[in-house]
Amino acid sequence: MFSSLIQKAATYLTEAPAPSSANRPNKAAIFRSYFRLPDNQTPLQEITCELTAPTGDHYVGKLYLSEAFLCFTLYPPSSSSAAPATAGVGFTLPLCAVRRVERLHSRSYMFALAITTWHGAASTKEERLTLQFTGMRSSCESFCDRLKRALRIQMSEVKNMKLLTETCYSEYLLGTTSESKADGKKREKDPPDAGLGMLFRYPGDSRKLRDRSKMRLWAEYLRENGRNVTLIRQPTFHKLVRVGLPNRLRGEIWELTSGSMYLRMFNPRLYQDTIKEFEGRHSLSIDEIEKDLNRSLPEYRGYQHEEGIARLRRVLGAYSWVNEDVGYCQAMNIVTAALLIYMSEEQAFFLLSTLCDRLIPGYYSTTMYGTLLDQRVFESLVEKTMPILWEHLNKADVQLSVVSLPWFLSLYINSMPLVFAFRVLDVFFLEGPKVLFQIGLAILRINGEELLDATDDGAFISILKSYFSRLDESAHPRSENEKLRAVTRFQELMVVAFKEFSQITASTVSEERIKHKEAVMSSISSFAKRTQLRNLGPEAKRLDAADLSIIYDRFHAALYERQLRDAAEQEKRKKQVKSSSASTKSNISSNPLSTSSNPTTMDYNTFRDFLSTIAAWGVADTPPPPPQTNPYTSTAYQPPPQEPADHDFIHRLFRRFDSDLSNALSLPNVVSGLAGIVGHRKDLMHTITYWFELYDDDGDGRIDREGILRISEALLFVTRRSLPPPSPTAEIDPSSIFLAAVSGFIRRCFEYADEHVYSPTDPLSPPPLIDLPDLPSPPSAMSPSGEKKNLRDSNPVLDPKRPLFVTLPTFRMVVLADETLERFFESGWADTFILSKNRNPNNVLSAPMDSGLHAFPFSGQVPSLKGIRGVLDGIVDEATRVAAEVRRRMEENQAAEIQEEEEEGEKEGVGAEEGDRELLKGAEAETVEMGRVRSEEGEEGERRRRSLKVVEERGEVEWGVEEGEGKS
Amino acid sequence: MADNAGAPKPSSSVKLVLLGEAAVGKSSLVLRFVNDDFQENKEPTIGAWSHRPSNFTLTLISAAFLTQKCNLPTRTIKFEIWDTAGQERFASLAPMYYRNAQSALVVYDITKPSSLTKAKHWVAELQRQASPGIVIALVGNKLDLAGPANEESGVTDTEEEETQGDEENRRAISTQEAKAYAEEEGLLFYETSAKTGENVQTVFEAIANAIPESTLKPRGAGGLGGAGRGGAGEQAPVNVGDASRPKEGCAC
Ligand SMILES: Nc1nc2c(ncn2[C@@H]2O[C@H](COP(=O)(O)OP(=O)(O)O)[C@@H](O)[C@H]2O)c(=O)[nH]1
Ligand SMILES: [Mg+2]
Repeated sequence: MFSSLIQKAATYLTEAPAPSSANRPNKAAIFRSYFRLPDNQTPLQEITCELTAPTGDHYVGKLYLSEAFLCFTLYPPSSSSAAPATAGVGFTLPLCAVRRVERLHSRSYMFALAITTWHGAASTKEERLTLQFTGMRSSCESFCDRLKRALRIQMSEVKNMKLLTETCYSEYLLGTTSESKADGKKREKDPPDAGLGMLFRYPGDSRKLRDRSKMRLWAEYLRENGRNVTLIRQPTFHKLVRVGLPNRLRGEIWELTSGSMYLRMFNPRLYQDTIKEFEGRHSLSIDEIEKDLNRSLPEYRGYQHEEGIARLRRVLGAYSWVNEDVGYCQAMNIVTAALLIYMSEEQAFFLLSTLCDRLIPGYYSTTMYGTLLDQRVFESLVEKTMPILWEHLNKADVQLSVVSLPWFLSLYINSMPLVFAFRVLDVFFLEGPKVLFQIGLAILRINGEELLDATDDGAFISILKSYFSRLDESAHPRSENEKLRAVTRFQELMVVAFKEFSQITASTVSEERIKHKEAVMSSISSFAKRTQLRNLGPEAKRLDAADLSIIYDRFHAALYERQLRDAAEQEKRKKQVKSSSASTKSNISSNPLSTSSNPTTMDYNTFRDFLSTIAAWGVADTPPPPPQTNPYTSTAYQPPPQEPADHDFIHRLFRRFDSDLSNALSLPNVVSGLAGIVGHRKDLMHTITYWFELYDDDGDGRIDREGILRISEALLFVTRRSLPPPSPTAEIDPSSIFLAAVSGFIRRCFEYADEHVYSPTDPLSPPPLIDLPDLPSPPSAMSPSGEKKNLRDSNPVLDPKRPLFVTLPTFRMVVLADETLERFFESGWADTFILSKNRNPNNVLSAPMDSGLHAFPFSGQVPSLKGIRGVLDGIVDEATRVAAEVRRRMEENQAAEIQEEEEEGEKEGVGAEEGDRELLKGAEAETVEMGRVRSEEGEEGERRRRSLKVVEERGEVEWGVEEGEGKS
Repeated sequence: MADNAGAPKPSSSVKLVLLGEAAVGKSSLVLRFVNDDFQENKEPTIGAWSHRPSNFTLTLISAAFLTQKCNLPTRTIKFEIWDTAGQERFASLAPMYYRNAQSALVVYDITKPSSLTKAKHWVAELQRQASPGIVIALVGNKLDLAGPANEESGVTDTEEEETQGDEENRRAISTQEAKAYAEEEGLLFYETSAKTGENVQTVFEAIANAIPESTLKPRGAGGLGGAGRGGAGEQAPVNVGDASRPKEGCAC
């Protein structure tokens, strides 16, 4: 259950970019939404031209060409906020529905094309539409060239277009009549599926709705102006829609005006394939859909019947699989149930998807941000247009949205009697979401006076409820004027909505949305954040609120960044692959945002990104950050300009955090993971155990040689940036001390390794560990006892034949033996994580330092001077290399060992082993030396240069030795 | 319905919102309170308010709205109840309902530990986001599922649950635990059963009594407006119908 809350926040994050990019969408997006085209269309050519419709009407406007469409409109799309082209004169003609294009040569100075569409009989000139271009000849030519090419490509879609038109009721209405004339046959084909209404009757009294005469008018219009894909919109078209669509054409016109018809045409098998693919599969959405099936318009006969229920189940189910981000949201059942009364399942499926993606985006998403946003917009419009009512609502403490939210969420379908709701939908699909606002405002205006008397939610609701139940009554029952008396309340509503509120345009709505978007988004995200943070496990209590808040933010930021990056990559790949023929396949199934569900967990790489924002050691050393100012000086989180580090240690942390072994980290995983570290600051024993467990891979309570080396590497790794710059008061550079401490750690581990563990293999001669050169333990001075002995004796730890283990008690002892390490495990480790700001690194630095040796910690800040960083890095590199070397040598040793066994005479190993010893000794000697250099030399710069040089020289020397060995 | 015949007791309306995990019994509690009825396996709340003769569950998408009067000795309280519901994703709409509520019923199911976590979340949310004087009652519902022996002290319940089997006692949250939490947060606390009706009236009475006089807003001063509107409100399908005539309920 909580996972869905988590998802909610994640959804917010992914949803966020959508509306923000909608603020300034690109030209192609505006173009698509204006002409209601599929997502893969882009404007390729445009030209001013005069359209002569087959009816003889002339219009001057703009002609556009995209990959698969030819579109004409009087008012070119100016911005994203323009009303859709469907609201005006024009056409949106799929190129595959063009039968023929002719160049007209009648008047030489003009450039004109005659287009015969699929539905126009080629022989009769009257059924062509002509387009006279105005503009330079060259641009006319280039338009035509592009058109020609596009037409050729779109030939392949003709069969899809034919498939589509067969399912259109308008074909049946007109087509069969004319065909029967030609062949002398009677109508025998079954009419295409025009919804449940065909089986269970359409809602309302068809005589009262004057369905038959509407049908006649439509037949006439369609005969003259083309139908379904080839339809031309002239003013009559809009009038016919406004008076209410006839039952059997309703679904098709909805499809056409919303643009979902084109999606269906280009994805002819998507619906059936989806049904087949997911048959019998279960999901949360499927369960939720099942619960709601019996209460989706239960008063309609079709839904008292298994057939209606089954259709609803299939459409909702299929959509939930195709768009898993939305899945299923209550209210979709009601909307879909309404659609299915007038259209086939497949039509409803594509229209539902157009609704969710285009018309009312975010209404049904997991945060329902679209719903919340539009409620804010609605309230603000009420405040503007009806200030007195608004003030009254505020005084009476009535929250308008509790009343208006269901109107919008269910597109008025459940608020008004169905017959009226469908009339609202007719206009909604034609003119867009602004219609919802206009109707809502009109409802309030008409009931304004009564509402001013309402003083609580109950009264408010009942006034509106009774209004809706009487929409079919006369608006002016007592009027003398018979005509006025005949006006129903619903007609009045439509008039008020579209006349009195004609100033509410698409751009009004979109401006208001932009205005309120941020506030709505931030309240959603803070709600999601509060919810998630409250629902963390008990471990989370170890962290304070500020820490949790930071972890939450960074967690989601990391997910978000990763998602953006993935999306960008995907985009890039798509562009590369883009093939022209496949490009008409629309996005429904290929849209990355609709198929992949939102990540709510981090994979390993995202975890690295995350770490790089909360721990200095999480940032990789290479490549050096780009040099604008100095990136190291900034204390705050920087969105990843830095490359996140990758290290065995990070892998181990990841696995440790991944307590449910899902190979992914959820927010609760990360929080309890961090709580296990930061929440145990000052708990020395806990932390030692923690580290021990990190490296006790098989959980047998023992860490082997390899593990010990890895621990030391990790210690150096996590501290390599966390060391404070040498303070002028400090006598010895802490970094060198830490390096020495780690060297000491390795040595002691080997030294005190539990003997009994390897006694079985070598019971007679316990290794003379004591003979190891006594290396200096910080901060005391060094005492390199440099005797050279037979290394086989003196350095048995490197003998791979001797298994060697440390147990937890040993490990503990080794750590506690060293003050520096002890301090690191006590608090330094926890302090490498930079969480709440109140723990200011600077404070820590200036905090009392015992014995001039401050604990590591802190400063999640990397030293600000490049030089110092160089020194530190040098040291760290050196030490890391030491560990690496030791390991390498061991392996070599082992190899040599084997070799020796095979060919006894060889005397190879000695040199290598001697090298080992030198190495161990050398590393410590050097650190101490450096410390000395520093304390002796006053001048810092000089010191730095010198140390650096030492490191470099050493590096070379070592390198040389290695090479030599390699050859021999 | 027309019950403003009696003495003109001061009457005020109180907005109450129900919050809690799905299926803890919010709608059942309201049904019991308003209608003194209980339906086994009732459908969860959704729907949209409609022109059609509405039944109990179909009121508003994301929430159901009901009213019920509660007669206190000195005054009459009309509860305007918002029963929030629906899917998890509707939770982000909840602020709309609690924003100016004077009281809230945060419900959990005593047999389901996760529901108390969720309830705590809602309490925190209300304390942070709702109007400052809001009266919050924490309600552990489905008391009938707790074994009779352990009704009083729930200390050893969790252990006994295992031994006793599911029929007898399914309690998973002890009274003590929830009570301690409620006290800490300054909440009213009751355990109820919508099924048997136990404590249901008590909860609403307690809330009615706890609403500070100062935050009560008079309802149309009992005069014209109040009566007229109130009447309309109750006839409307908003309410449960004729059966919703206040029964013995809240004759407190
Ligand atoms: N045994 C028992 N079951 C209950 C009680 N209250 C509700 N239920 C059942 O719990 C389920 C969910 O109840 P409902 O009121 O819809 O919960 P809501 O989602 O919180 O509104 C239904 O099957 C009810 O019959 C109760 O007090 N005792
Ligand atoms: Mg409910």
